[in-house]
Amino acid sequence: MDRKNNISLNQLEALIITSVIGVGVLTVPSVAANILGNDGWLVILLGGLLAIPFIYIMNRLNRLYPGRIFYDFGKDIIGPYLFNVINFIYLCFVLIIVAFTVRVFAEAIKVFLLNDTPIEVIIITMLFTCCYIARGNVESLARMAVLILPIIVIITVLFAMLAVPAIDFTNILPLFRFNFGDLKNIFKGAGIVFFSYSGYEIMLIAMAYVNEGKKSVRYSIRAISYVIIIYLIMFFVTLAEFGVYELKREIWPSLSLMREIELPGFFIENVDGLILSAWVLVVFATIGPYLYTLSVILSKMFNTKKHNLFVLPIVPIIFVLALIPQNLIEVYTYMEFVSKYLGIFVVAIFPTILYIIALIKRRREKCT
Amino acid sequence: MIGVREVEPTPLIVKKDILQAITTRSLPNAEVSESETIKETIDAILSGDTALLIDGCDSAIIISSRGWPTRGIEESSSETAYRGPRDGFNETLKFNISLIRRRIKDPKLKVKMHKIGVRSKTDVAVMYIEDIANDMFLREVNKRLDNIDVDAIIESSILEEFIQDDPYSPFPQIENTERPDAVAASLYEGRIALIVDNTPSVLIAPATIGTLMQSTEDYYSRWPIATIVRIIRYMAAFVAVLSPALFISVTSFNPGVLPTRLAFYVAGTRVNVPFPSVIEAFLMELTIEFLREAGTRISGPIGTTIGIVGGLIIGQAAVEAGIVSPLMIIVVAVTAIATFALPSYEVSAALRTYRFILMIFAAVLGIYGVMLGVIIMATHIVNLNSFGIPFASPYSGLGLTDGDIKDTLIKVPIRNLKYRPKFTFPRDKRRMK
Repeated sequence: MDRKNNISLNQLEALIITSVIGVGVLTVPSVAANILGNDGWLVILLGGLLAIPFIYIMNRLNRLYPGRIFYDFGKDIIGPYLFNVINFIYLCFVLIIVAFTVRVFAEAIKVFLLNDTPIEVIIITMLFTCCYIARGNVESLARMAVLILPIIVIITVLFAMLAVPAIDFTNILPLFRFNFGDLKNIFKGAGIVFFSYSGYEIMLIAMAYVNEGKKSVRYSIRAISYVIIIYLIMFFVTLAEFGVYELKREIWPSLSLMREIELPGFFIENVDGLILSAWVLVVFATIGPYLYTLSVILSKMFNTKKHNLFVLPIVPIIFVLALIPQNLIEVYTYMEFVSKYLGIFVVAIFPTILYIIALIKRRREKCT
Repeated sequence: MIGVREVEPTPLIVKKDILQAITTRSLPNAEVSESETIKETIDAILSGDTALLIDGCDSAIIISSRGWPTRGIEESSSETAYRGPRDGFNETLKFNISLIRRRIKDPKLKVKMHKIGVRSKTDVAVMYIEDIANDMFLREVNKRLDNIDVDAIIESSILEEFIQDDPYSPFPQIENTERPDAVAASLYEGRIALIVDNTPSVLIAPATIGTLMQSTEDYYSRWPIATIVRIIRYMAAFVAVLSPALFISVTSFNPGVLPTRLAFYVAGTRVNVPFPSVIEAFLMELTIEFLREAGTRISGPIGTTIGIVGGLIIGQAAVEAGIVSPLMIIVVAVTAIATFALPSYEVSAALRTYRFILMIFAAVLGIYGVMLGVIIMATHIVNLNSFGIPFASPYSGLGLTDGDIKDTLIKVPIRNLKYRPKFTFPRDKRRMK
């Protein structure tokens, strides 16, 4: 058929939103509050804005090589050997991120839904379920993202609306208490929050299948803006509910908030179970693209035509990695460490450097 | 007939071109053709035509003289509507084509005939409106029809199996209907109809979730009502798949979701039930399936009796005997009714299959398991294509922002449907100025 494997701009937008929002949404409010207290929104905003230049660069880079994915055309830029090293770094980063994402998810499910089930069972079932979509093509990922996006919107709106009767908006105040002395702190904080926005690396693959390349920048930046808005809503609602001191102590403020919401007289009294089960879909929409990315990187490293051979073999690796941290605190410590030292290369530095080299190469080709 | 009278019996003409003279002048039959090979002639004779062989001529004259027992045009019993035309397709290809033609008096309406089946040589007509339907589908349909190598096509479902995209899926990727008005409306949308001889069910491709949830009656009722009915239908689909699984997970894993009083009430009704809710649910679901099967085997008054006996007496007795809780009976009954609320029998059958799978997931992992099951089902649906068109359209992207939603999830007034649906990539996009 003529129109095989391509993604519309709206699908790209949905794909980016659903890949970015995953487990990050659980922790963003407390992370931001820990950095800047009541003004944590500034950190969330800045962190999101920080992602925009890199999204722009990824878009430009992909447009230099239309129809090919980053993990493939990279070797044209810096040679196959060096690029295999870079691919390997991407592989490690995504592996670790998936492992920790699934671990955090499993911990949350265990606490809120399945108290007696061993965490290994939750991890492995989730991974196998995500395998199914990762074995497909990028078009199914995009279609799935469009299906799941309304659920994210509904959760966010429900979340804000249901919380309104219970919350106290005076808790948000005082705002704008930062001064220029905090500037260093703000930027450092924005750097930390920046990694709650990671996940848009899926663009490195998805962009190759978008036909209207020119408009894609606008759509992907819009996608990140929606994510910023959702994070900000989460931040303000949890801040208003808990107040800044309690918010700092919460691990998952959003989930704790849902526990506190009660709907007297309504059919469903405790929304946490309901929202958490819908959240399974959201996490799936994050892990699915990651697993797909992993298998695609592997297939490019081993030069195979099909990527789906690699999906199942990586599951045990992720499973073991996910079980390495002893507890949730360790997971977050490791995660921060990995994002700080590996993530910055993966989502920001490598694409930028490659883009510059590719540009220089293009110039030279034009001159000669 | 006038031509016959005009024949001049001059031996010169007769000698020169006797074949020509006979076919054009002296045969009072509407369909006369020539055949040059023996194979073709045999095929024609086997289909009921008459072959006229003339000494000294190198081709045979095929005279259409087909006649066979036919059923009259009756209302389809499986797709009844409150309002709208009562005529339904029957088993004769020609009648079916003319029923559609009556509704599309457009010279651009094309009928391409194929003969499929090495032995059965079943006539298959591909119908489309040339300046609306996209070539892409036509080429694909023709390619797939040409690739079929089988000895017999008994019914259109067999043809469907050969030309659908994913033969392993429980979901139908091609729509079927017995209503000529539905086929005509689909042709106007730029879709393609396949009419198979010897069966009243006509295939329409491509099909998506959106089109499979439409019913002809939506278009004959006022739009607010049609919209509400559509939404109720989608709710019915969710109820048909999810409700027993959710009931199992709520009773055996996550009673905390329910309000306290309801949770106690549910627990109270299940005090004397000796089985876990999974077994209970499976028992009742199986009973319903038995009833359904029995009902389809024995139709008419006995079938109704079986329904009543099964539904009322077995349910009542099961509750009184204390092996099933009354709530479970309600859940199972509502699920069964919801299944019948869907316009497409194939879709409801597919959802029924998934219902059992989800029940197993719910029994193992509670609500979390149900969600995993839903993910697997959703993944399967987004992976499906119907002639290259995403099966989950318009909800998965294609046409979502172009207004396809106006005639799928909801139904806006006809005068607001200025454009044909996007998913068929129609060549003529506008319905009205």
